[in-house]
Amino acid sequence: MSTRRNPMEPQGLGHALETLGAWVLALLWILPLAYAFWTAFHPPEFATRFDPLAPLSLQNFVNAWNAAPFASYFVNTIILVTMILAAQLVLCTLAAYAFARYAFFGRDVLFMLVLVQLMIMPDVLIVENYRTMAALDLTDTITAIGLPYMASAFGIFLMRQTFKTVPKELDEAARVEGASALQVLLKVYVPLARPVYVAFGLVSVSYHWNNFLWPLIVTNSVGSRPLTVGLQVFSSTDQGIDWSIITAATLMTSAPLLIAFLLFQRQFVQSFMRAGIR
Amino acid sequence: MLNRTVRKVAVLAAAMLFAGGAPAQGVEISFYYPVAVGGPITKIVDGLAADFEKDNPGVKVKPIYSGTYQESVVKALTAHKAGEPPVISVLLSTDMYTLIDEGAIIDWSSVAKSAADKAWMKSFYPAFMENSETGGKVWGIPFQRSTIVLYWNKEAFKDAGIDPNQPPENWKELVDYAQKLTKRDASGNVSQWGLQVPSSGFPYWLFQAFTTQNNVVLMNKDGTKTSFDDPKVIEALQFWVDLSRKYKVMPPGIIEWGTTPKDFFERKIAMMWTTTGNLTNVRKNAKFDFGVAMLSSGKRRGTPTGGGNFYLFNKSTPQQQAAALKFVQWVTSPERAAQWGIQTGYVATRPDAWNTPEMKKYAAEFPPAAVARDQLQYAVAELSTHDNQRITKVLNDGLQAALTGAKTPEQAMKEAQREAERLLRSYQRR
Repeated sequence: MSTRRNPMEPQGLGHALETLGAWVLALLWILPLAYAFWTAFHPPEFATRFDPLAPLSLQNFVNAWNAAPFASYFVNTIILVTMILAAQLVLCTLAAYAFARYAFFGRDVLFMLVLVQLMIMPDVLIVENYRTMAALDLTDTITAIGLPYMASAFGIFLMRQTFKTVPKELDEAARVEGASALQVLLKVYVPLARPVYVAFGLVSVSYHWNNFLWPLIVTNSVGSRPLTVGLQVFSSTDQGIDWSIITAATLMTSAPLLIAFLLFQRQFVQSFMRAGIR
Repeated sequence: MLNRTVRKVAVLAAAMLFAGGAPAQGVEISFYYPVAVGGPITKIVDGLAADFEKDNPGVKVKPIYSGTYQESVVKALTAHKAGEPPVISVLLSTDMYTLIDEGAIIDWSSVAKSAADKAWMKSFYPAFMENSETGGKVWGIPFQRSTIVLYWNKEAFKDAGIDPNQPPENWKELVDYAQKLTKRDASGNVSQWGLQVPSSGFPYWLFQAFTTQNNVVLMNKDGTKTSFDDPKVIEALQFWVDLSRKYKVMPPGIIEWGTTPKDFFERKIAMMWTTTGNLTNVRKNAKFDFGVAMLSSGKRRGTPTGGGNFYLFNKSTPQQQAAALKFVQWVTSPERAAQWGIQTGYVATRPDAWNTPEMKKYAAEFPPAAVARDQLQYAVAELSTHDNQRITKVLNDGLQAALTGAKTPEQAMKEAQREAERLLRSYQRR
């Protein structure tokens, strides 16, 4: 072969197979979503029957919207994920900076303790967390849903690993120029870790957008409950499942996340790739 | 938060003012309830609370939606352990022993002491009380209760040459009809199954119908012993397994509970077993003439009851308990029980509810509504023991292993019994 090719790029049969594989995976991934779209926009009779001429209808969305106070659930969910993410970013950045760049007594033991948190399922701690919230007189508030998640072990670990990859020379150069510790963090480390922040933000927001059991248990009223708790009204176990209404409600509640992902898709994918290369 | 503290102080001050004064003044009773059937249940419950408050000024009822039954019991027990449980909660009747073992509830009999109160506790169908009493005390008040019934597609019966108004009377007819109703094409693919008995989620409940019909009970009255390896239990499981293996009238493997009604509407199945709670759903969505009947009899007729009771949590004040009693008596009164049954499809829990004008009208317009009531005389208590969640899981796993063919019915039930005995050993010594 005389032409120059990227040696990593597959050719011939390999290329065809890889494209086929990608298409199959993409189709499998989109299938549930496509089904949700089909069911949500058609009357219930067509929930399990495919007929391209079936009449379109928005009635499912109307029914779903009226079944629960979704407007306030939306507001609560948005407040919740923003609050958690903001607190996580501040706490994790500071903690990770200390773990990555300062030598202090007991640092490794402390870091181990943080890592231990990663191995415990949050669901196990429900009773203890509830007791804490009750003692703080915080039950039935949005703060109570978010508080246990704010010091995220995963976030600290991720940021520490990222900060460790920043060349020491940059740090030293900044200090020679007279930057304080906080300035070094904000001007050197944080900008370099931006892709990781984006990736972490995505994971955090989607996790807390979808979190269900803890919010259900610690809250009691419409004023503090998130979307997932509202959605649960539709899973009527005694009666079988009304797919039309449940898919409409699901689309409605996941729409903001889906749209945001489509809009910022490029940034997300790029930041994940960069975060991976490091 | 500050606001809340202020409110607490205010409530405290009010409580001190009224202490010894008129009871049920400024009392708030929180009330957890699960949603297990479709429709705007949360709105119906909010409406009930508002109606009660109108009739009883001074008492505030705060309904709190708490997810499915499983999630509700988790929420209630978590709140109990943290020291702020609800005053009352609707939870599965089978959670009774668990709640007693956790020290979370007090018995209604200790609050409802007057002659009228005692008569009220005796006014429910005895079948529903089986799961609500133990040790001579009443722990649960029946609220949203159900049984299993048979739904059949009359058109499919006609097509198969069976009298559309004659549901199968016994197991032999059940198999016989189901065979006639199962349609296969030339290559052996089934386009319509004769019968579907769901086996996902809580197969033990449907299994109890088979065992009751085979004239055997799964547990003793104290909830300390199970009899999963009784030959009659194994025989009942063999029959369930045979429906798909031997007679080939039911889809093989695990049958999803949630989609069974849909399969019925789509004419993929001609008969199904499911809860009476589905009645309103089937009535609305079946595009063909259908019938509702008691389950076919084996050695006898039988079905377990199911559903939720009111429990009274023990960290409440005497004023709250008095108010809670008033609310529960109000909500289970004949008129309300009838209204709740009509709106949801649950069985109205007491005989006199069926004599109210609304219920009479409803039953006359829609006779299937009365089938579950008539079946109650054959009903038994749903499986409920100490450490109930784990015992039912053991049984469920055994049943599913047998239905998928991973184990023989005998092997599955013997293993389940061994495991259940291990779990219950500590309760038997008490």
